[in-house]
Amino acid sequence: MKLVKILLLVCTLSFFSFSAVHEYYISLTQIEYVANKKSVQIISRLFVDDFENALRARYREDLTFGGQEETENIDEYVERYIKDKLTIKINGTKANFTYIGKESDIDIVKCYLEIEGVERIDSFEVTNKLLFDLIEEQQNIVKTKINSNQKSVILIPQKDTAVLKFN
Amino acid sequence: MNKFSYFCLSFLLMSFAIHAQEQSAAKKGHTNTNKFKQLYDEFSTPNMFRSASGAPGPAYYQQQADYEMDIVLDDKNAKISGFETITYTNNSPDELKYLWVQLDQNQRAKDSKSPLIETSGVAPVMFPNAFTKEYMQEPLERGFNILEVKDESGNPLQHMINRTMMRVELPKPMKTGDKFTFSIKWWYNINDHVMEGGRSGYEYFPKDGNRAYVIAQFFPRMAVYSDVEGWQNSQFWGRDEFALPFGDYEVNITVPADHILDGTGELTNRKEVYTKTMMERYEAAKKSFDKPVLIVTQDEAEAAEKGFSEATKTWKLKAENVRDFGFATSRKFILDMMAVKIGDKDVMAVSMYPKEGNPLWEEWSTRAVASTLESYSRMTFDYPYHKAISVHAKQQGMEYPMICWNYGRPNEDGTYSDRVKYGMMGVIIHEVGHNFFPMIVNSDERQWTWMDEGLNTFVQYVAEQDFGEKYPAALSPEDKHFPSDRGPAKMIVPYMGGDQDFIAPIMTKGLNTYQFGNNAYGKPATALNILRETVMGRELFDYAFKEYANRWKFKHPTPEDFFRTMEDASAFDLDWYWRGWFYTTDWVDIGVKDVKKYYVSDEPNAYMKKIMEERGIKKKQLKPLVYLVEEGSEDFKASMKKKSLLENSKPLQDYIMDNFSPEERKSIKEPKYFYNVTFEKPGGLVMPIIVKYNYTDGTSKEVTYPAQIWRLNDNEVSKAIASDKEIASIEIDPNEETADIDTSNNSWPRKTEQNDFDQFKEKIQG
Repeated sequence: MKLVKILLLVCTLSFFSFSAVHEYYISLTQIEYVANKKSVQIISRLFVDDFENALRARYREDLTFGGQEETENIDEYVERYIKDKLTIKINGTKANFTYIGKESDIDIVKCYLEIEGVERIDSFEVTNKLLFDLIEEQQNIVKTKINSNQKSVILIPQKDTAVLKFN
Repeated sequence: MNKFSYFCLSFLLMSFAIHAQEQSAAKKGHTNTNKFKQLYDEFSTPNMFRSASGAPGPAYYQQQADYEMDIVLDDKNAKISGFETITYTNNSPDELKYLWVQLDQNQRAKDSKSPLIETSGVAPVMFPNAFTKEYMQEPLERGFNILEVKDESGNPLQHMINRTMMRVELPKPMKTGDKFTFSIKWWYNINDHVMEGGRSGYEYFPKDGNRAYVIAQFFPRMAVYSDVEGWQNSQFWGRDEFALPFGDYEVNITVPADHILDGTGELTNRKEVYTKTMMERYEAAKKSFDKPVLIVTQDEAEAAEKGFSEATKTWKLKAENVRDFGFATSRKFILDMMAVKIGDKDVMAVSMYPKEGNPLWEEWSTRAVASTLESYSRMTFDYPYHKAISVHAKQQGMEYPMICWNYGRPNEDGTYSDRVKYGMMGVIIHEVGHNFFPMIVNSDERQWTWMDEGLNTFVQYVAEQDFGEKYPAALSPEDKHFPSDRGPAKMIVPYMGGDQDFIAPIMTKGLNTYQFGNNAYGKPATALNILRETVMGRELFDYAFKEYANRWKFKHPTPEDFFRTMEDASAFDLDWYWRGWFYTTDWVDIGVKDVKKYYVSDEPNAYMKKIMEERGIKKKQLKPLVYLVEEGSEDFKASMKKKSLLENSKPLQDYIMDNFSPEERKSIKEPKYFYNVTFEKPGGLVMPIIVKYNYTDGTSKEVTYPAQIWRLNDNEVSKAIASDKEIASIEIDPNEETADIDTSNNSWPRKTEQNDFDQFKEKIQG
């Protein structure tokens, strides 16, 4: 029952503003290719309450971020969720990324991921479905800095993939 | 005029000529695009209503709307009905043919257009109940039922409802000074604010079958008529909040007899509605300045929630000079109070919460209310009302005069996370703070969300820091300060450095902004914090901010009144700041581009040699001059580094010996190192350049070049620095106080800066 309520709430409240609550649904994923390290560095920022709701809906009701109350092995769930929702293809091949860890403050969780051993990037495809399973209006902003090109795209449930070409 | 001085003069002029030639290559004219241009085009011309100083003008007026209301809550059916009599006073110089009344509840009506302006798409996966609601269910019966609109004698008044606005025709036009009294009878079904959303409504508690009501924008309310907007009758779409005139209220609210109620205004029949025990505790609370006193305990509230009384009680509230009215009522409410001294007056800090809010609420709500009133009073004016109430309501954060609803609910076992705790304290400070902006300094929220949210979020930051200092026990062990998430400069960096397609200037109507929270709360609050801490300094800023609050308390200010007052009271030209931060989406990015080091020499350097060759000037024709030689250039000799300034330049030595007395020579500075420092500004915002010069002897010096340094070149400026110490490194904005979005150019020599990612990785993996 709780889940359903949360979902309903998220859907119905989105239009109304509250004087102190965040009432927009956005995540920011920054992707940078550091050529001299052959590394693609990824930082995803998600609102902690939305992210927590998504993890609770999927895995465990009691998952909590932040401070002393943080669930001990929450990283396992974060990794599982992100690997499920974020897909990256480099030069047409699906890339495996390493989950480095996460930091959380009052509002936001930052997740750090890395793809190593990337010799060059001719094309880069990113599919970002983070929180789309929970929030209809979720928009995932992806900012890339690859081969000294900076780009920014917004992914929505209806269009969750962006392809960048560098040739 | 001898030949040489002529040469010198022409030489000076020449360099200007070259500069001018480069400029004319573009061959294109332009209007005044200087970032320091005054805001004459953006601002309206000052007039008798609003002065150029930013104060209300000699002809300033505002309308008055007084209300007498009888309200009945039907708890069983979650319905509310009312009969209200409005006395409207026309203080404007204009004749009014009709009045506009706001019907905010119609935003929730079946035929509301609010859902229609939201774009949507088919979600690939949905929960069954969300699907049902979206595609299968009829919308709920919501919105006002207006039963009658009558004049004082009981004759029906012609009226027309356009969605959330009702036009009431006047029998005869109102002239200046006229009063008109009319009445409206209405009812509506109250929404479940947890399930349906909304700033007011009820929360249903299935375990005990009770509701807790937080009721606001619940009665037809007069719109504002003013010199800037005429009638402010812009529709209520659900986001942009309210514009309301001041007035006096007498409100009788009838609720089940076992309810505990409080709202805007003085409770005039306290003895009728309080038990004897409650009265005694209330008297004790009046004298308790350090600890809240429970007026209704948790045990009593828990007993009451089983009752469901059929009898009723009428609570009578009277408020003077308020812009709105709200109340909260439930049999679930615990009630506590504590007095707080504001100026020479005692104000009551009040909290109402169901047991679900405990233990967090009994501990911190009332203390947060009191501390907020103290901080805001210091920054503005003494809180003029007699009480301020914080009501616990799930997922709410909303403000009304003297009363507000706030979120922050512990888990069922009474535990809570830091996030819930700080969220609750932050929202209480924010919403209680709204008493000042916009309840008293009554800006037009429908038009300018940032004017109340931005100013309020700025003072909230100050008040949160105060609260953390006053109550260290409120902080978690690892926090030294209250962890405010809005205010400090660096927290706005991700927003201001973000995608320009999704950023609007602050001077945008709230409904049309992309990132409402950052746009209307975060950025203006940060802009004011930077103005206070970095640009103006606390003394100048605080005086001017206080002046603005005092000039416009119980009045209707516009953004210009704020902008003008801040300058008027400080002698600080801020047009450039308002223009950049409030009228554009530009960002701060200032860096150090290049540093060159020089020594003095008495031998002509390459620069002079070239001129000599071109002009056929011989060395002996030159008068003694001081030459600056860049370290590492062909003119540079390693020996220069070892010698003092005067040893390096005989002409300088001679000049000093000839022109200064031995006494004067003692106090003369003798810098040894000369630098040409070039600063660059990739960002569009002009800001002061805050520079920290670190010397090789381990000392350092901080210098701030005012923003006006950019007035003639918006991209790059340089400074000649003479120093008796050698500079080891230079840092721009060393304390991260300007919201510089790219710090990779902030240091010389360039730090091979680890990015966030590498820093984190190193921290995790060692």
